[in-house]
Amino acid sequence: MTDLGFVVAAYGVILGGVAIYALTLVRRLRIAREASLRIRRDADAAPPTPSGGR
Amino acid sequence: MKTRVLGVAGLLAVIGAAFFGLFVVPADLNQGDAQRIMYVHVASAWIAYLSFGVTAMAGLGYLWRRDLRLDAIALAGAEVGVMFTAFAIWGGMMWGRPVWGVFWQWEDPRLTTTALLLALYLGYLLLRRLSEDPARRATRAAIVGLVAAVDIPIVHFSVIWWRGLHQGPTIGSPDKLLHPSAPLQFVAALLLMLGAFTLVWSYFMIRRYQLARIEWQIEEHGRVGRISAARRAAFGAPAEEPIR
Repeated sequence: MTDLGFVVAAYGVILGGVAIYALTLVRRLRIAREASLRIRRDADAAPPTPSGGR
Repeated sequence: MKTRVLGVAGLLAVIGAAFFGLFVVPADLNQGDAQRIMYVHVASAWIAYLSFGVTAMAGLGYLWRRDLRLDAIALAGAEVGVMFTAFAIWGGMMWGRPVWGVFWQWEDPRLTTTALLLALYLGYLLLRRLSEDPARRATRAAIVGLVAAVDIPIVHFSVIWWRGLHQGPTIGSPDKLLHPSAPLQFVAALLLMLGAFTLVWSYFMIRRYQLARIEWQIEEHGRVGRISAARRAAFGAPAEEPIR
């Protein structure tokens, strides 16, 4: 492999890795927020109980 | 919204810094184009130090204040730090092969202690999965995070303390900062990449912290649900219903 090949491999993996992590993080956050919202909606929809919803 | 702006700014900064390092700065006289790898390699290593430093400080703060928000900061630092350590190692390997003739050498103190740093914080992340109790998990993680942080100065000073394949610091002391042993354009490219990575790092830290907090809330809800289910199983009636 030429020097340029190593440069491409280094930048490709590092910058590509940063981009993949950013996308994965945003996706994980979106899924978690949706799950959290669902839980909150379910809790609001549940009939009131003497123990305050627990 | 502000975090999104930070993310976009980080992305543009990384693109700009990469363009500057790859196409504007000339190739090194001795190392050729391989020198360009230094900009991402060194910047990744510095960001990794920063991340693990934050993990250690947040862990110490947790042990003192017992605030789970500090544990979320520590987790964010560890996860982001592991990623940047892996990038630093990868960049170093891609630079080492054309310049040193080898990808890796276990006898080199800098390389070995960096690999150890990666292993320690991977262990930190794995340890967090062992306990479901947030307080116990945070305490254990804080202790491991602090112990692992001992390796950070060892990694940094290994090139001074021991002889190895890895070169000494190009910029490391105030004297070298003012009179670096590398040409100014090379230093500018490195500092530009470091600035860009710092922006991206800030974005990752905020987002990972937010994720940790939401995950904790979901986990807490699951725990309450399991307690209710256990009560139902024990008493044969919904836990919410008043005892008649």
